[in-house]
Amino acid sequence: MTEIDHLMARLRAQMDLDGETEQEVLAEIRDHLEEALAEARAEGLDEAEALAQAAARFGLEEEIGQELQTTHVGWGTAEAVIAAGLPVVGALILRWLAFAPDGTALGWPQLLSRPAFWIVALAALLIPLLKFERWRYALVAWIIFWGLTVIFVTWPALRW
Amino acid sequence: MTIQEQMRKGTTTVIILNLLAELDRPMYGYEIIKELEARSQGYFRFQEGLIYPRLHDLEREGLLRSKWQGQEGSRRRKFYTITDAGRHRLEEELRGWRAFYKHVNLLLGVKMAP
Repeated sequence: MTEIDHLMARLRAQMDLDGETEQEVLAEIRDHLEEALAEARAEGLDEAEALAQAAARFGLEEEIGQELQTTHVGWGTAEAVIAAGLPVVGALILRWLAFAPDGTALGWPQLLSRPAFWIVALAALLIPLLKFERWRYALVAWIIFWGLTVIFVTWPALRW
Repeated sequence: MTIQEQMRKGTTTVIILNLLAELDRPMYGYEIIKELEARSQGYFRFQEGLIYPRLHDLEREGLLRSKWQGQEGSRRRKFYTITDAGRHRLEEELRGWRAFYKHVNLLLGVKMAP
């Protein structure tokens, strides 16, 4: 384990973020430290001195880790609210799409031939993707959308 | 948060926005720090790691946009560019700074160049 690995581990210990966010933050900081280290070596410092200089200029990992945690923890909250709200909104829209005004459930051919259905399907995929720039979230929303669609079409008695 | 911390945070924000607007090209964190140090002739020596929470805050507010560049397996870097919203915020911040310094200088009796 290199000194950079130790520093990264101490920084990581200050954060409690979702895996993907944490991975991105740490990758960005590792790149920073590696460049700082290369620059210090180029100045003629030996390995130990170069590491010490890079770490000192980077700052206290406790303080920086806590600031990063503060910065990103709000993102998680906002994402959680949206993630919790999306299925509810999706279910309400799907209910409107999947049932004719007289309350009878549409079958697959009728549902799939409705342009509004495909607009909602695309929105369910693209909104999370554009909002969070994460395919993972987009695919989860897409799976929820199709799961609800299957439920509504397969079990029309679930109409409420 | 102390006054010093608030000032540091506010100062860093406007300095980052100004640099990215002026150079008008994508830059990564280390590059931003080095450019700011060079421009301030070493007067501002940042605690380098603290630039990342600020960059991420600005991105979150929609004032910066980021993009990872480079291939998997080789060095990948996160580059930041300023958005239109960032440029608007910069204009507001600069107006605020000018007014602030003008009035502090008036209070201190410092004569400013015309």
